[in-house]
Amino acid sequence: MTMFSRNDKTPEPTPAAKPVATATPINPAPPAPQSAPAPMETRRVPAPSPHGTPSVSVISKALKITGELESTEDIHIEGEVDGDIRGVGVKIGHNAKVKGTVYGEEVEVAGTVIGKVEARKVVIASTGHMSGDVVHQDIRIESGAYIDGHCRPEYGKPDGKAHAIQKPATASQNYSSAKPAEPARSIA
Amino acid sequence: MSALPQRALIRTQPRRGDAALPVSRIGNGLTVTGNLDTEGELHVHGRVQGSLRADRLVLATDGEVEGDIVARDARICGRVNGRVFALNVTVDSTADITGRIFHHTVEVARGARVDARMPWRPLNFFETLEQIPETQP
Repeated sequence: MTMFSRNDKTPEPTPAAKPVATATPINPAPPAPQSAPAPMETRRVPAPSPHGTPSVSVISKALKITGELESTEDIHIEGEVDGDIRGVGVKIGHNAKVKGTVYGEEVEVAGTVIGKVEARKVVIASTGHMSGDVVHQDIRIESGAYIDGHCRPEYGKPDGKAHAIQKPATASQNYSSAKPAEPARSIA
Repeated sequence: MSALPQRALIRTQPRRGDAALPVSRIGNGLTVTGNLDTEGELHVHGRVQGSLRADRLVLATDGEVEGDIVARDARICGRVNGRVFALNVTVDSTADITGRIFHHTVEVARGARVDARMPWRPLNFFETLEQIPETQP
């Protein structure tokens, strides 16, 4: 019942599929005449080569991301991110702008962050502009950096953040609950 | 080029100072949930859940995109589940595409898995593309 007998041909694509690099130099020629002039085609050849390079993510200055980034590796941001960033080593470059929380092991802020930074080691470079709190274990702030927010050495503590807020909160609760309670009793 | 509306999603002619724009790279371990928008080149080795817009997009073998891709040049070696709007599309042999490929020129390598409609569109479709159209499934 087989209409197409293609069994004899099937082994072929798999060996051809593996060398990606060999396929690329052949490709540039055909689409070129339509709308793409030569300079673009010369750039096309080296493109797949960074396959083997250690994979660090680079958000370059022309890139804008709206949403969350989550990585098990380092992230280098030079562009604009509107959302939270989770990485291991996060470097926020000179011209970068981040709106959101930056979580990481090591975070370097040389650009603008509007939001929070939570990391074991934090470096605010002289060009850094930090509007928001910094939760850290180890911090370095270079002269010239702008910080508008609290720096709390509570990174890694299970309820470090809750601790700081709870103390005054529970205290005020006691007072507030104590005060109405007494008149209530006296009325009763 | 100047006649183009400012909001055109795809620049049909390459920019003059294009080389000055650095390449962005979504690394292997990075997952982006949201939209990416660049005038330059974008290499995706990681995962993206959301739409991408770039002048030139390279989706590497280990890259994965769940969403729409808008680019002038798109080279796809990885997985796509969504629509591709690109003037020039190159589908590599390692690609796995589900969805649609709106293209002007297309090249599909042998071995690629393409479960997609591949509608051809004239140049002015891409020139005037200001918003990604909604398509029927």
